[in-house]
Amino acid sequence: MRERTRSLARRLGVGHAEGVEPRTAAANFFHVSKSYDAGTYALQDVSLELARGEFVFLTGSSGAGKTTLLKLLFAAERPSEGQIVVLGRNIARLGDGAIPALRRRIGVVFQDFKLLPNRSVEHNVGMVLEVMGRPAKEVRARVFSILKQLGLQHRRHHHPLSLSGGEQQRVAIARALVNEPEILLADEPTGNLDPELTVDIMDLIASTASRGTAVVVATHELGIVSRYGKRTIRLEQGRIAEDVPAAGSAA
Amino acid sequence: MSVLPRASYFLRTALRGLRSNPVTTLVAMGTIAVSLLLFGSFALLLQNMQSLLDRLGDELYVTAFFEQGLPSAKQRELAVLAATVEGVEGVRIVSETEALERFRDGVGSGAALLEGLSENPLPASLEIALVPARRSAQGMAVVAESLNGLRGIEDLVSGEDWVEGYLRSVALVRGVCIGLGLILSIATMLIVANTIRLAIYARRDELEILSLVGASRSFMQTPFLLEGVLQGASGGVGALVLLFALFRLVLPEFEFGLEMLLGGIRLHFFGLGGMMGLVAGGGMLGLVGSVAALTGGWRP
Ligand SMILES: Nc1ncnc2c1ncn2[C@@H]1O[C@H](COP(=O)(O)OP(=O)(O)O)[C@@H](O)[C@H]1O
Ligand SMILES: [Mg+2]
Repeated sequence: MRERTRSLARRLGVGHAEGVEPRTAAANFFHVSKSYDAGTYALQDVSLELARGEFVFLTGSSGAGKTTLLKLLFAAERPSEGQIVVLGRNIARLGDGAIPALRRRIGVVFQDFKLLPNRSVEHNVGMVLEVMGRPAKEVRARVFSILKQLGLQHRRHHHPLSLSGGEQQRVAIARALVNEPEILLADEPTGNLDPELTVDIMDLIASTASRGTAVVVATHELGIVSRYGKRTIRLEQGRIAEDVPAAGSAA
Repeated sequence: MSVLPRASYFLRTALRGLRSNPVTTLVAMGTIAVSLLLFGSFALLLQNMQSLLDRLGDELYVTAFFEQGLPSAKQRELAVLAATVEGVEGVRIVSETEALERFRDGVGSGAALLEGLSENPLPASLEIALVPARRSAQGMAVVAESLNGLRGIEDLVSGEDWVEGYLRSVALVRGVCIGLGLILSIATMLIVANTIRLAIYARRDELEILSLVGASRSFMQTPFLLEGVLQGASGGVGALVLLFALFRLVLPEFEFGLEMLLGGIRLHFFGLGGMMGLVAGGGMLGLVGSVAALTGGWRP
């Protein structure tokens, strides 16, 4: 359905190949609070806008609320207060039945990877496309192509546990990117990588942003943050402590 | 948009699920097969008794004997009258000569007994066939009651004792079938529900990840439903194979006893419909069992 609207928009010369609503934000938070246990807030009064194709670092010490913010973005958690609009959907009011369709438009790299240990790399990455009902041939081709981009094509028949931590990390990234999501969320994606690989992986993630995907990378490694000079939102005890725009852009 | 790839994914996932726990799967299938075998044996017995009954149905007449020497015009009048009685399907006059011929055919070589007789001792009669609903001991009694008052009829003979006994044993076997079917259905559903619950538990990590990457509820549940159906249906196939083996190899050993029970007719195995019914029944029970597991034991 969405594909159809999109191709129609393309034929009519309106919109833009990456989405139907290029000028609307990828996500908006309006005074969002999240409380897991009554009385304490993991996030408090957070308002922000994430534009399409924008790259944002989310920083802050452990427990600041980074993971919680990402979870709210792909509806793994619901806000306790405030409104969240993601890709035109109001998360607070989204029915359970509508969540899967939203999640298929968002790629997530989990901090603990969440790979199936007893399935091949190929299966782990391909399941995202299987869920969408893509034909087996297409699944194989797209999985091969993304694994190749990440230098993992020779590992596609291996099981995750026989891979190094860095390779598992890249498998998790491949799975998040294989269906060309409109938003990419990555929770500490370089935590297990050596410095050289960190640069490669971050370059890859940054390049998806330049192709129109909004990217949020949660990290506590300030070295990476300073290297890229992107917009940086720093959380402190659940609140936005500062929101520094990308270097060279007008605030 | 994508029914075919999904179907193949579901089938692959369901088969992998069955294979990933071969012992549980085989025990479940075996238990289902034995349950369905037990039920199938009684169903097969019932089917054969029933088909004997259907064949007998044509012979379940009420016979009205005419008074000796009743004119044939009067016989026809009575035939028309009897045909209008409620519960009567049709009537047929059997003349004295025909009755004698039948008797000769029936006794075979004993026909010599009749050679000495100068006169035909057998009376003409009216054979009254009943509508199917009346083909029981009580039904025949009801119809016979209505015919009783007609003038010109000497005697009414309705059914025979063994028919009543036979009908009672058919009813008994049918009762056993229903009772057994009910109990074994519940057992089968519980077996499937239990193995599916275990399968869901074993795959909870995969389900969590599927849900996180945008799998719908039905996408996650369908492989389990299919697993249940496959378990039930293969139990049904197993039951059929066992039943056929018993039918072919073991039954002939008991031929004599069965002849007493079924009156010496040839036994028939299930037709295609019956066989498919048993397999489909197993599949249905498997489906219900897995639905129970999914709705009762797991909320993603
Ligand atoms: N599922 C949960 N239940 C209860 N408290 C939680 C849960 N997840 C996170 N928290 C709490 O919320 C706060 C923010 O956590 P989190 O978002 O994981 O921070 P970060 O990712 O920045 O380390 C922490 O105090 C944490 O203990
Ligand atoms: Mg975290």
